[in-house]
Amino acid sequence: MNDADVSKQIQQMVRFIRQEAEEKANEISVSAEEEFNIEKLQLVEAEKKKIRQEYERKERQVEIRKKIEYSMQLNASRIKVLQAQDDVISSMKEAASKELLNVSHHHDDHVYRNLLKDLIVQCLLRLKEPSVLLRCRKDDLHLVENVLDSAAQEYAEKANVDPPEIIVDNQVYLPPGLTHQNSHDLYCSGGVVLASRDGKIVCENTLDARLDVVFRKKLPEIRKQLFGQIVA
Amino acid sequence: MDPFKGQGGIQMLLIAEQEAQHIVSNAKDEAEREATEYRSHIEEEYQKSISENTGSSGSNVKRLEEETNAKIKNLKKSTSKVSSEVVDMLLKYVTNIKT
Repeated sequence: MNDADVSKQIQQMVRFIRQEAEEKANEISVSAEEEFNIEKLQLVEAEKKKIRQEYERKERQVEIRKKIEYSMQLNASRIKVLQAQDDVISSMKEAASKELLNVSHHHDDHVYRNLLKDLIVQCLLRLKEPSVLLRCRKDDLHLVENVLDSAAQEYAEKANVDPPEIIVDNQVYLPPGLTHQNSHDLYCSGGVVLASRDGKIVCENTLDARLDVVFRKKLPEIRKQLFGQIVA
Repeated sequence: MDPFKGQGGIQMLLIAEQEAQHIVSNAKDEAEREATEYRSHIEEEYQKSISENTGSSGSNVKRLEEETNAKIKNLKKSTSKVSSEVVDMLLKYVTNIKT
């Protein structure tokens, strides 16, 4: 084998090695590109997943906050309607209270006088005492004195007892009726208060006290009458 | 003949390896950049939906307020029709004495 052949063979081997190296370098490059894409994709997807979860959580919180706010507003709205209902009911009582003043103005047709007598009889029946103390408004004193005997007699017949002794308090009177002048003071629209002599048992039968009792007792009925047709 | 001539292939491989490492290490930076872009896009969408929601919740509040006021108006209107009956009923019970 001469030098030329040897040189030729070496050149061939060098070319082969270089080609192998180029192919290997190419493989490394392609492999690196693939690895880059896989690595990047994994990192991006992992980060995107984290971001999505974070914003989903944020949106859920916003949604919850919205629901809470709406619920509070709905509640406030219901309270507003209930408050309006309460105001209407209160205005009914106020209107009735003002109307009560007209009851005691029926002096002419004896309506109020008969009412006073019935109120006294009712108190006597509740107290069942042989001797009682009576208080009334100063304006009603003469009317009360007019009906005392007939009231005592009526009670005696109904309770089947002797007529009781009724002492009218001439020192302390019930407050006068409601006017613009005394709108902030105590007032009484009429009626009577009876008590046992020792003051332990009291029967408050003023028109205002009766209105309070009736109002409390009839409140469900009043509500039904006023709001039965309305859905709050 | 140059004894170092054959080392060109090895050099080529070394360079290829270095470049490969550089490419792979770039993956993290590229991923971060893409993730940042994605985050800003999502944030933009989120802010947009929030501002839309604020508008709609504002109109909900207004609607609820209008409904409430209408209910109260209706309530006052319908109760005014029966108010005198209620007052009469109360007065009847006050002045009707059972003995």
